[in-house]
Amino acid sequence: MVKTKIVIDYSKCGNATGGIDPRQCSKCLQACDPAVFVRHMAFNVKEDNPYDPQYWQITPVWLSLCTHCGKCVKACPQKAITVSF
Amino acid sequence: MCDWCMKHGAGGKWYLNARNYSYELAEAMNLQAYLEEQWKNFEQVYIRKIMGISSIGLGYKLRMPIIGRVIRRAVEGMIHSESKNRNPVRADGHFGQVIPIEEAKLIMLNLAAEPIIQNYCMCRLMQKGIKDVCCINFGVLSTVIEKLPRFIPENTKVRLSRDEAAAALEEQNRKGRVATVWFQPVPYICAICSCETPQCGGLRLRMDFGLHTVYKAEYYAEVNPDLCQGCKTCVASCQFGAIRFSPTLKRVLIDPTKCFGCGLCRDRCPHDAIRLLPRNENPLLRGKY
Ligand code: SF4
Ligand code: SF4
Ligand code: SF4
Ligand code: SF4
Repeated sequence: MVKTKIVIDYSKCGNATGGIDPRQCSKCLQACDPAVFVRHMAFNVKEDNPYDPQYWQITPVWLSLCTHCGKCVKACPQKAITVSF
Repeated sequence: MCDWCMKHGAGGKWYLNARNYSYELAEAMNLQAYLEEQWKNFEQVYIRKIMGISSIGLGYKLRMPIIGRVIRRAVEGMIHSESKNRNPVRADGHFGQVIPIEEAKLIMLNLAAEPIIQNYCMCRLMQKGIKDVCCINFGVLSTVIEKLPRFIPENTKVRLSRDEAAAALEEQNRKGRVATVWFQPVPYICAICSCETPQCGGLRLRMDFGLHTVYKAEYYAEVNPDLCQGCKTCVASCQFGAIRFSPTLKRVLIDPTKCFGCGLCRDRCPHDAIRLLPRNENPLLRGKY
């Protein structure tokens, strides 16, 4: 089974890890017709509070539905996304 | 929906049973705290590992021999869970059904518990980054969501009267969205969404992975060949790919096995050529939700 891999460089996107706040951008969400990405609160950034609504990141969730169109890669102003097999 | 109407329908459809909307039920199920915990981290439901697996790459996981079937059974069990010790970090007992607009309005006008609110569609927000005032929540869930600013629309009325909520659903129907009513968690009912594939999480799991997060409606659509003028308006309104135009017959064909019974094609047809019929009166479709 060939599986799609999508990697996000969280040092470029994700405001808990030194990147931008994806809520200010979200271009990948809008570019992707099959809606592969999910924007969500970053996990366990603080030990006492696993859900801090201040920190957000993008996760490619529905990998099997990616059509390799490359639109997200082109749309990302941070050049944070790579799509491969 | 045979099983769920049998258990929670009091002799009729589960979503027309007033008890499933009541504060007594919410209290007996201790839902305030549960829903607060669940909604605080709503977006993480796909990302979290539950029993060692998350939804990331779910399509590949389901295709694995043997393990795929085990995962499918585990997810279906979770979605339909009626167990007392539900886990608020996952979608335990959260599933819904497509309903035509007249039933959505009937629920809004007669059954939904107040307060009724409108808020951003969480699915569209987390999957598209689009702020769309769309979901109608009611009862305990309204008071939970009202405390979460990211779902609350700016410069828009949040609490709605019954008439306003029914009108809001009508407006979504006109835009082409499918009305769905939700257990959360079963048997408590606290939301009517206006869904669109592929952003809607429920429809995604149903359409792309065959999981029963959203059931087909109690109805299916049928076209009257004598009335259809072949204008194709209905084709564009179907999100489920159930209608096609036949150039030979110069009219449309509806595939009843694909039809979810949302009624959007009927609502859009300028010639009243489509009607909804009860699913359970058709021997082929009976019980096929
Ligand atoms: S390559 Fe295309 S389909 Fe795949 S994630 Fe990017 S935008 Fe979506
Ligand atoms: S397009 Fe790039 S920078 Fe923008 S939210 Fe997506 S991953 Fe982050
Ligand atoms: S909208 Fe009505 S008249 Fe037009 S093609 Fe569909 S069924 Fe026929
Ligand atoms: S055929 Fe009509 S009723 Fe059936 S799913 Fe399509 S739009 Fe809805």
